[in-house]
Amino acid sequence: MDAPGSGSLGARLERFLAAAEPSRGGRVVACDAITGGYSRVSARARVRWRNGAEEAFILRGDPPPGSGVFASDRDAEWELLRALPAATSVSTPVARWYDRSGEYLGSKAIVMDCAEAVSLQDEMARAADPGPLTDLFVDTFAAVHAASSERLPPSMPRPADWPGYLDGVLAGYDRMAGQYPGSAPVLRYVAWWARAHQPPPVPLGLVHGDCQPSNVLVSPSRPPLVIDWEFAHIGDPREDLGYYTQIPLEPNVYWADPKRFLDRYRAASGLTEDQVNPQVADYFLIIGMALLLEQLLAAAAAIGAGRRPGILASYLVNAISHQHDMFLAICDRLS
Amino acid sequence: MITRPTTDALIADCCQELTEEILPALTDDTLRLRLIMTETVLRNAAVRAAHEIAWMREETAGLLAYAAAVAGVAAVAAVADRDGGGEPLRAALAAAEACPADSLHLGDVARRYERAGEAFTQALAAAQRAGAADLVARARELLRDRIATEKQVMASYAVVGR
Repeated sequence: MDAPGSGSLGARLERFLAAAEPSRGGRVVACDAITGGYSRVSARARVRWRNGAEEAFILRGDPPPGSGVFASDRDAEWELLRALPAATSVSTPVARWYDRSGEYLGSKAIVMDCAEAVSLQDEMARAADPGPLTDLFVDTFAAVHAASSERLPPSMPRPADWPGYLDGVLAGYDRMAGQYPGSAPVLRYVAWWARAHQPPPVPLGLVHGDCQPSNVLVSPSRPPLVIDWEFAHIGDPREDLGYYTQIPLEPNVYWADPKRFLDRYRAASGLTEDQVNPQVADYFLIIGMALLLEQLLAAAAAIGAGRRPGILASYLVNAISHQHDMFLAICDRLS
Repeated sequence: MITRPTTDALIADCCQELTEEILPALTDDTLRLRLIMTETVLRNAAVRAAHEIAWMREETAGLLAYAAAVAGVAAVAAVADRDGGGEPLRAALAAAEACPADSLHLGDVARRYERAGEAFTQALAAAQRAGAADLVARARELLRDRIATEKQVMASYAVVGR
């Protein structure tokens, strides 16, 4: 998809809609880049159909090849978005069309309905008491985790069992250590520690992969809408809890009241205190960050090799150091 | 060579130019975000430019000393040899020692530092396999020092644009 700020994206979308909905005569009356996403290139578009009706859409596409830090599979995301309404009680974006080849929009891009709603993160920041919004957030993700695996796309990888899944994640840390010498000492230590301190297992389920209130849109007129599914996978649902503990946006409602957060999650998920407690949430930061850390390391290595993924890759070198720091602190706290 | 301003001072001056003169004139949100990220990267680079050679050399000495100490513990070495970890440790140590120790060129220092890290990693693995808790604890202290240095570089970590 064109980079944000490109003036041609609206015209490209219009051509795409002419092919996707030839009888409706769609005209793009506005198309603006959305800043702030660290992964996909996103834009918001308003389309007026021949009959006078107007609709707003979100375009979500791949950045130009060789650029960007975080990689994900647009085909898989499209399949998942189409499957989610039947698989989960959670409200998800209505995926309308997919430029599967990138022929029209410049790269593979999904066009979905734009909801009239605001970020739960922003609502939490405005709230005098974020407690009720914390409960909403926790309940929403507990519902995500309860999705029916049978109704998820057959192409989604399904780990055989919990021990095998965890072993696979930790083997990933060994693989990263082999590839990225600057991080190897920390990663080898952390992987060794994590093997020796495994928490009790839970049933594997749908993991969102970027669990944070910024990815929940709220409105008085509709249930919460969970967006940004590109890193979703079947794994240990507690990865989402661990991942959220490192989100640095204020307020982080886990750290505001860990007891409330985890009590609520246990009540909503049916998991026990052995399975979900502050130590387990800490542990699953290590597990829940594995995929993104590998992509951060790959992007940093690309800069070192003379390629140029974009300024975000250089900027996020700090995030690697931040992960090192958090991982070792967890090893210390839980040892 | 012109010694003043030093590299870090030059970079700091660029940062000031970006934030005080160029950023206020930018109206495109995406470009503003990129510029803020760029300024952060430069600010971190200034810290590194001032200290990174010294930091890497100091840490290299500690990493190699640790690896040599582990290799020298007979009980650990025996377990490592039995598990196939002895040769990788010796090879990693030799590879690190083969790098020029006196060169202060950044590429040389970084290469030796990375190889010292590999020797340390092999040594840590050997200590872990042998259940040598004191050696594992000593490794943890070295990692603590490494993280302290990384934190000095990243200063105040914040996420912009989200």
